[in-house]
Amino acid sequence: MRQLLHDMNPSVKFVAVTLAMLTLAFFFDPWTPALFWIGIILMQVFWSRINWKLWFVLMLPFTLGAFGYLWTALVFGANDGSEAILTFAGISVTEEQWQRALSLSFRVMAFSTLSLLFALTTDPVKFVMSLMQQLKLSPKLAYGVMVSYQFLPVLKDEFFQIQQAQRLRGVPVEESWWRRLLNLRHLLLPMLAGAVRKAERAAFAMEARGFTGKAPTEFYRPIMLTKTDFLLATFFLCVLVASCTGGILLTD
Amino acid sequence: MLKSWKLKEIVLMSLFGVVFGIVYLLAIHLGNIWAGVIGPIAYEWMFGIWFIVSIISMQIIRKPGAAVLPETLAAIIEVMLGNAIGPRLILSGVIQGLGAEAAFAVTGYKHFNLAIMMLAGAGAAVFSFVYGYFLSGYAALDPSFVALMFTLRVLSGMIIAGIGGKYLADALLATGSLRGYAISRAKKGDAGA
Repeated sequence: MRQLLHDMNPSVKFVAVTLAMLTLAFFFDPWTPALFWIGIILMQVFWSRINWKLWFVLMLPFTLGAFGYLWTALVFGANDGSEAILTFAGISVTEEQWQRALSLSFRVMAFSTLSLLFALTTDPVKFVMSLMQQLKLSPKLAYGVMVSYQFLPVLKDEFFQIQQAQRLRGVPVEESWWRRLLNLRHLLLPMLAGAVRKAERAAFAMEARGFTGKAPTEFYRPIMLTKTDFLLATFFLCVLVASCTGGILLTD
Repeated sequence: MLKSWKLKEIVLMSLFGVVFGIVYLLAIHLGNIWAGVIGPIAYEWMFGIWFIVSIISMQIIRKPGAAVLPETLAAIIEVMLGNAIGPRLILSGVIQGLGAEAAFAVTGYKHFNLAIMMLAGAGAAVFSFVYGYFLSGYAALDPSFVALMFTLRVLSGMIIAGIGGKYLADALLATGSLRGYAISRAKKGDAGA
């Protein structure tokens, strides 16, 4: 049971998560996103083996963001002309504004939890393979992404090499973070030039080994669609529908 | 759409996706620090950073799709890197890329001067704002505040993505590593304008 979300077909998971986000965007009451948020957390508790410590660390910036959203929506909320329920430092907040601000903050929390559900239970390579096998992503693009993904550690080494080489030649380390950020372009250009050369070599090597970019009929590692995927997707939609109806009922 | 593409152009595009995927993730972290304090407007002035790969790739490859595809690939790679924003990024990548692509499509993929690049940056900003308006519920905010956010984002798209992207592509051309791509074959006046 605790492996369910990890074993779920990545494309199905992707579609379910995206669908849920787009649906939630239509709701401006606080209950819908809050209920859905709880539902998603429960799904992660029972059906996944994620590292909860990591989960909390990753949620922290989003919680801050949700807070930022809360006060933005309170201070700059659209005025609906009704009576203020709260006045503070010249800012008056109406019942409607308060509801909407809460809703938007819960929406941020629900979206982030949903994203973490995907990010922490999905293997990146399987995700791209599944995009190709189930959602018909062009093999040229899919394998292009895979090649680039393999270059990641190389690019990381290169980044430090270029940095050290520049220091050796007397490029000073800037004091202010702003200057340091602007100077990133001196690192970015050699990185990009290196990327161009790597792309050419990799493409040549792929073609030399007979890669044509045609969709293969068989895969070395097929990503399957099973009954469990459909059951999970259905359950996912049930949670979504339940929180939407719950939200509507609780608001009235 | 991909038939006229050479494999090396596709791999180049996805490698740019990797490099900018990392840049994008760094920018998100930077933005997050602000956003907790000053709310969602923290991202607006720096939004152009996230459109830049479309503009650079289009200038180099100059084929239909060279704006929307790299932005999508960069988003897929960001998701593969295991960032916390997750699959939502892929959708926003596609939409931002389409915004930039629209500007090139309208001009028939014929001109690649600074004005068009800035238009593409603005296009990406407009598309991404409409999507953000829907997904983040800007409808609940005061219209004048939303207008301020919109203006900041379009300016950022024009300046950071348009001018910055043009600058980076020209600088990359000067290194001589782009031989064999459309940008080197272009007529002199067009490439440097």
